[in-house]
Amino acid sequence: MLRFILQRALYALPLILVIIVVMFTLLHLIPGDPVQALVGDYPVPPAYRQAIEEKYRLNDPFLTQVWNYVTAVLQGDFGYSYQNQRPVLALILERAPRTILLASVGFAFAIPLGMAIGIITGTTRSANTDKIWTTSALIAYAIPTFWLGQLLVMFFALRLGWFPTQGIGPLVSRAHGFDWVLERGRYLALPALAFAIHEGMRFARIMRASVIDTLSQGYIITARSKGLTRGQIIRRHVLRNSSLPLVTVAGYAFGSALSGAVLLETVFTWPGLGLLMVDSIRLRDNLTVVGVVIFSALAVILMNLLVDILYAMLDPRIRTGG
Amino acid sequence: MTVSQSHMPGAAEHLLDVRNLKVHFQVSDRTVRAVDGVDFHVKPAECVGVVGESGSGKSTLVRAISRLMPNLRVSELSGDLRFEGHDILGMSERDLRALRRSHGFSMIFQDPLGYLNPTHRVGRQIAEALTFHGKGRSDSQRVHSLLEEVGFSDPKSIAHGFPHELSGGMRQRVMIAIALASDPKLLFADEPTTALDATVQLQVLQTLYRIHKERNMAVVIITHDLGVVAELCDRVYVMQTGKVVETAGTVDLFERPKHSYSARLIELSAHRINFRSAGL
Amino acid sequence: MTNQTSVPVSARLKSASDWGISKVGNMMGTRHGAIGSIILLLLAFIAIVAPAIAPYHPLQQTAASLAPPSSEFYFGTDNIGRDVFSLILYGARSSLMVGFGAALAALLVGGTIGIIAGYFRGPVEMVLMRIIELFQTLPVIMLVLCAVALFGSNFWLLIAAVALAIWPMEARLVYGQYIKLRERDFISAARVADFSTSHIIFREILPNAIQPVIVQVALDASIAILIEAGLGFLGLSDPSMVSWGQLLFVAQDYMDSAWWMSVFPGAAICIAIIGLNLFADGLNEIVDPRSTRGMGGLQ
Repeated sequence: MLRFILQRALYALPLILVIIVVMFTLLHLIPGDPVQALVGDYPVPPAYRQAIEEKYRLNDPFLTQVWNYVTAVLQGDFGYSYQNQRPVLALILERAPRTILLASVGFAFAIPLGMAIGIITGTTRSANTDKIWTTSALIAYAIPTFWLGQLLVMFFALRLGWFPTQGIGPLVSRAHGFDWVLERGRYLALPALAFAIHEGMRFARIMRASVIDTLSQGYIITARSKGLTRGQIIRRHVLRNSSLPLVTVAGYAFGSALSGAVLLETVFTWPGLGLLMVDSIRLRDNLTVVGVVIFSALAVILMNLLVDILYAMLDPRIRTGG
Repeated sequence: MTVSQSHMPGAAEHLLDVRNLKVHFQVSDRTVRAVDGVDFHVKPAECVGVVGESGSGKSTLVRAISRLMPNLRVSELSGDLRFEGHDILGMSERDLRALRRSHGFSMIFQDPLGYLNPTHRVGRQIAEALTFHGKGRSDSQRVHSLLEEVGFSDPKSIAHGFPHELSGGMRQRVMIAIALASDPKLLFADEPTTALDATVQLQVLQTLYRIHKERNMAVVIITHDLGVVAELCDRVYVMQTGKVVETAGTVDLFERPKHSYSARLIELSAHRINFRSAGL
Repeated sequence: MTNQTSVPVSARLKSASDWGISKVGNMMGTRHGAIGSIILLLLAFIAIVAPAIAPYHPLQQTAASLAPPSSEFYFGTDNIGRDVFSLILYGARSSLMVGFGAALAALLVGGTIGIIAGYFRGPVEMVLMRIIELFQTLPVIMLVLCAVALFGSNFWLLIAAVALAIWPMEARLVYGQYIKLRERDFISAARVADFSTSHIIFREILPNAIQPVIVQVALDASIAILIEAGLGFLGLSDPSMVSWGQLLFVAQDYMDSAWWMSVFPGAAICIAIIGLNLFADGLNEIVDPRSTRGMGGLQ
């Protein structure tokens, strides 16, 4: 097991390096003044210009520059955002927890929702249930998240007035205890709902396919010949085995969600990593853009690593090295 | 469908009695008559073989009898199926489960790995099939004695292991232990040794034969291998394209095959049987 | 597949090229395929004849801004008085062009890489598969955003950026097909018969590998349209072209006063995606009749 973890970690490391190098190279490919490319559309005073040239040794050969950038990033130095007058890392660390909050709450609803729908539609023998499922799955797939978000805002926030339309709530809150949770929850509700519907339906599709696959396995016939009831078979033999693919997919999806649900955060003006990315693009704050991308990639790779380990623990065939 | 109301004389002593069983599948726009009017019976504590080439309908026959049909489109399923006089086809799910749970029939399959849940420990999978699961003598003791009965000398470690950790022959013996857990009166074995190595085949067959004798349990073996039949069975049904073409005592069949198809099967397997006997 | 080994090469090629006409005719025989084809044909028709059927020029600013749907403006007007109905008709052009353009670009890039990795194996395969994995690890939307942010967003760059996100799927599929087919008897036979490598790759394997790839292209196009809409929604699409996503970007600021600015363009995106997926589903049913998957593998 330990060997498996080490093996996976060793596999992830070069991936991270490659991503950092590629991103830096991309920055270099932007035509024009390299200093301007790093800083973006911000007017560069001569003092800054000199500082940047020195910091990234822009007059050194390209490979030396890459090396310098990689070592800087590995030490947590993503550069300085002139537009925001703050280090890029500080910006990322400020935004990341909000994105994690949104993604966690969204997943907390999406996973049980997806599993429940997947099991019901996967085990059903009714042609009608199947038809309803097929139609709603297709429609859910076709609705872009951000449009779903707009519809939710227009109906629940503007029409019914149940929830605020955007934002994360007051920066300094006077509420305490449960009131505080309620206050935050009101802001979180709609983005999390959009998240849960979208991801939940995706999980449901995967779960359903997996349930159907599991039901066709030989050990289900064995279970039937043991005289188990339908409920017992589903609980004991279908649930766990068909959840395995969902663990992987949900884990990978969580990694991507951590990197910022860019579109959802934009709809709800949820100030997480995704919105930081979009704002930085609009301000042409390239160092921040690259910083967020590298950070996201890191999040995804680490999450994938965790998922692989978790999967190995759930599946005895891998756990015992079979 | 015609349900025969009157039973033939002697039918009462049959454990399993099948009349005019028909199983037809709908495959795209074609009807496949997998089983086409088969009469079949098994007496208590008897070992019966069903032989035929693949596609002869022998597997479908036992799947239909044990009501474990695959998810194909069945266009016709009819006949009079009686287990100890109970109508199997008309039986409710609940009664059927009761029959499978205790003193009814069990089944083992060709590919033991696929028929064992990969994520459950072996012991749990056997315990699940016990007649009075969770009652009386502790489950683990009963599991261990079942594992010993099918020939494991270290039942504890086997029960604790996962299916993928066992060899093919061991898995098939675990399957047999699962099948025995409900104290069945009849065991269906669908190509029980086809997926195994030649040497392991023999061990598994010997285990099966010993249990058949010790428990006085009826066994129906489905196989394409007449060698298996020659070693274990009292009586044989020969099937071809969904029909029984010959039924006879094993010795009679080998010495005086009446149907040309049987004769050809015997000829084909003669070489293998000689080979096997030499190995015994 | 054994029957294919006995069929002469020429006959097999012929049947593969017949595929286009005879099988697409069958599309109308499957329910999903028929609905999908009709939706797609309708959208393509709208995109082509948009100038003729649109009641207003998309950039024409009428006096009525934020007017609700009426007989004069079917889908209302936007904040600067443009007719939303006309905008949606014109938007079909950009969505379909980027969608299919990116899907074809992805097919070209992904297909080439998949063929090379799948046919030649060895170290080439190793390196290419690592690259594909790298792209699949990165969050798609980030990748596209980054490309657009750094290099701008004119029409062609947009197609390239979207293709960048979807080519790995195509590459994997083609790779899988080639891995599978190269071991088949008829390919070994072709190799023994000393056919050139390019003959084997393009004349022997390709016709047998192409069917699932075509289904994937339809699915890719639907994903490309979603991504394009997303970029438009973030205000990053080509500003000189009307697109559905861009309409939603503008609508974002008027959700409280003009629901029609959001509802109709969003519905247009939905319909296009549904059409493409049903179409892919129909294709899939024809290509692989045994397949129980519905909705282009969506289930």
